[in-house]
Amino acid sequence: MEDRPGASPAGRFLTPLVDDASGALRPVPEDVSPFAILGLAPSMEVDAKDLGKRLRAITRRVHPDFYATAGEEERALAERNNAALNEAYETIADPARRADHLVRSLGGPTEKDLGDMPQAFLMEVMEWNEVLEEAVPGSPDLASLATELEQQREQTLARIQAALTPLPPAGDSALAEVRRALNALRYLERALSRARA
Amino acid sequence: MGYIELDVLDNQPKRIVIGIDLGTTNSLPAIWTDGRPEVLELEGEPALVPSVVHVKDDGTAIVGRSARARSLDDPAHTIHSVKRFMGRSLSDVDAADLARLPYTVSETERGLVQIEVRGKTFTPQELSALVLREVVAQASAAMGGADVFSAVITVPAYFDDAQRQATRDAARLAGLEVLRIVNEPTAASLAYGLEQRKEGTVAVYDLGGGTFDVSILSIEEGVFQVLSTNGDTHLGGDDVDALLMDLVAEEVRTALEGGADAVLAGPAYRQGARLAAEKAKIALSKDPEADLHLSLPEHGVHVRRRVTREEFDALILPLVERTLRSCAAALGDANLSASDVDEVVLVGGSTRIPLVRARVAEYFGRTPHTELDPDQVVALGAAAQAEVLMGGSRDILLMDVTPLSLGLETVGGAAEMLIQRNSRIPCSVTEGFTTYADNQTGIDFHVLQGERELATHNRSLGRFKLTGIPPMPAGMARVGVKFHLDADGILTVTAKEESTGTTASIEVRPSHGLTEGEVEAMLEESFANARADFEARRVVELIAEIGTMLRHSEANLEVAKERLDAESFEDLTEAIAAAKEAQSSTDLEEVQAARDVLDRATMPLATVLMDDVVKNAVAGKRLGEV
Repeated sequence: MEDRPGASPAGRFLTPLVDDASGALRPVPEDVSPFAILGLAPSMEVDAKDLGKRLRAITRRVHPDFYATAGEEERALAERNNAALNEAYETIADPARRADHLVRSLGGPTEKDLGDMPQAFLMEVMEWNEVLEEAVPGSPDLASLATELEQQREQTLARIQAALTPLPPAGDSALAEVRRALNALRYLERALSRARA
Repeated sequence: MGYIELDVLDNQPKRIVIGIDLGTTNSLPAIWTDGRPEVLELEGEPALVPSVVHVKDDGTAIVGRSARARSLDDPAHTIHSVKRFMGRSLSDVDAADLARLPYTVSETERGLVQIEVRGKTFTPQELSALVLREVVAQASAAMGGADVFSAVITVPAYFDDAQRQATRDAARLAGLEVLRIVNEPTAASLAYGLEQRKEGTVAVYDLGGGTFDVSILSIEEGVFQVLSTNGDTHLGGDDVDALLMDLVAEEVRTALEGGADAVLAGPAYRQGARLAAEKAKIALSKDPEADLHLSLPEHGVHVRRRVTREEFDALILPLVERTLRSCAAALGDANLSASDVDEVVLVGGSTRIPLVRARVAEYFGRTPHTELDPDQVVALGAAAQAEVLMGGSRDILLMDVTPLSLGLETVGGAAEMLIQRNSRIPCSVTEGFTTYADNQTGIDFHVLQGERELATHNRSLGRFKLTGIPPMPAGMARVGVKFHLDADGILTVTAKEESTGTTASIEVRPSHGLTEGEVEAMLEESFANARADFEARRVVELIAEIGTMLRHSEANLEVAKERLDAESFEDLTEAIAAAKEAQSSTDLEEVQAARDVLDRATMPLATVLMDDVVKNAVAGKRLGEV
């Protein structure tokens, strides 16, 4: 077996959900890191293909189907562990959710602590809102707005990606900027779905 | 029979898990044996159970073939297609469907559909349970009387929580443990072993008797995911029959001129025309032309109408085109085009029609899978999944997603979704809630499923009340409510008040399902029927046994009849005739007696045959060698 991060000597992906030696399911606390569940170190850089591979390999060890004839307690544990695995996967697979998790885990502000968006962004938001409120559904104005919003979304994601690569130290001031960018991203996504409706 | 495997270590019979395709029109059991799934057979025929229940004048129910046989002469007491009502309220059911029903359908105070026949009310779950019991009885008889307690049952991919829960309750009422509910298209793909693909996209085209479904699935290293589904709940083989029946009616009108209407309205005509249509339809799947032939001497009707394949194709083309529009919609929802599809699987008897196959092949640009019997594909896949659950294989893994979002009604009547559609299951979401009044000790929740903004536009799964919150000022309580969707797509809710650690109690009142208490009550009631059920099952077993005995004795009688004495020959011929008659009986004593008489009457024949064997064995050998 090739050497790969988070793999056991047997070449399996290590996860707190399963005891690597015996293959038995293990209960995990609710606050265990999604990265740990997938056998990864926390990072903003994620290889989607590798992540999918990990999801499938670990699912083969925890899916309730493989515990159908086990006792009730073990079946319930399989349900819980597979749910935790799916939740961890969704958190890491989506860049915005991944960044949100990293900001929190590094002690950065939550969206309740810090609800504003980057200064430079606010002026544009006002213009976009005007178009959104006045344009007729299906009009070319909305179509070009959607293109612009999409570009902004890409750029904002790229900024977030850059700010978290490599990961800043816990409590770093850069985390506040990432939070603001995440708030902007949320706005962009809502505006996009309105522009496309 | 090769089905009862023994565990050599503790000498216990291995637990048997069957796969069941619980269909709208027919239901079918299958099992994994000798490394592959196989449909269970009785008398060399698949143990197919028409999903039909007939209630007799004494209030007892008969199920399956014998029930279907009553549907034309006694439609008011014969219930079809109960799957359409599972987990639904009256307002969910198509109004045209309701208008067509020859029996009364009403609603319980909680909005559950119930069906009234002969002054008795039945829930869809109870009727489905009757069908499942019959399937289990047939399966058991096919396996030489082996006990069946566990099953994998298939449901359409678009079934919501209430419909899945209803299916599960039906199984429980039938005394059956459901190890897994599997989506029908996924089962069909499993039957074809498509999980062996490294990756790919599969379209499952399912044209049954009365419904059409298409599903788009992705497969990646043995992992299945339903990407989208579409379909038409009123499109299928019955519509094809109806088109051919129109041709028969035309002929009758021409032949009879006046008075045709009275004939056309009669049950004998309807039955005859339907049979003629079915026969011609089946013939047209292999022959270039076929005759619609109807003879009703009592009405002076003798009509024959030739239908060519070209004419038939033109007749049904609009139906086929409708299914392809559904395929386009499903592909659109999955953001794919027809050329992205790597494999096409055909399911349902109507996919035997050559035009259907040709148009589907043309649409997707590839030859569809037709190697397996399209009526058996889903049951076979369910049996393959049963094998996985029994620990036979970890190569196959069904990673399903939930077809609909799941959430709660908020204060303003909006729907707030907690679990998005297409989320992988099992999954859990914990959401925090608090109180809005001082010393408030309870919170009401309304659980919804669907994609709409307003609560009232979504499907109500149920309401529950959280009680036992310790009295404290408004906004201080921290209640964590955990929603868990299990691998079958069924929801459970638990809650905890976090500041004090109190576990709040929850009472869920399902909007469309049965409460725990109702299931218990029905189970108790069904124990009262257990004897009747046991008898029905014994009859099926005995009839199967009689069939085997008949085959053997008739074959051997040919060989050995000259050597049998006249009396024994006469006894046996009589016993064979009586046994054949008993094969269509439902009376346990009668069937048992016929079987016993046949058993005794075959003894002299067996003796003659044994003598032959011994003579052949000792021929040419000296006494000492024997």
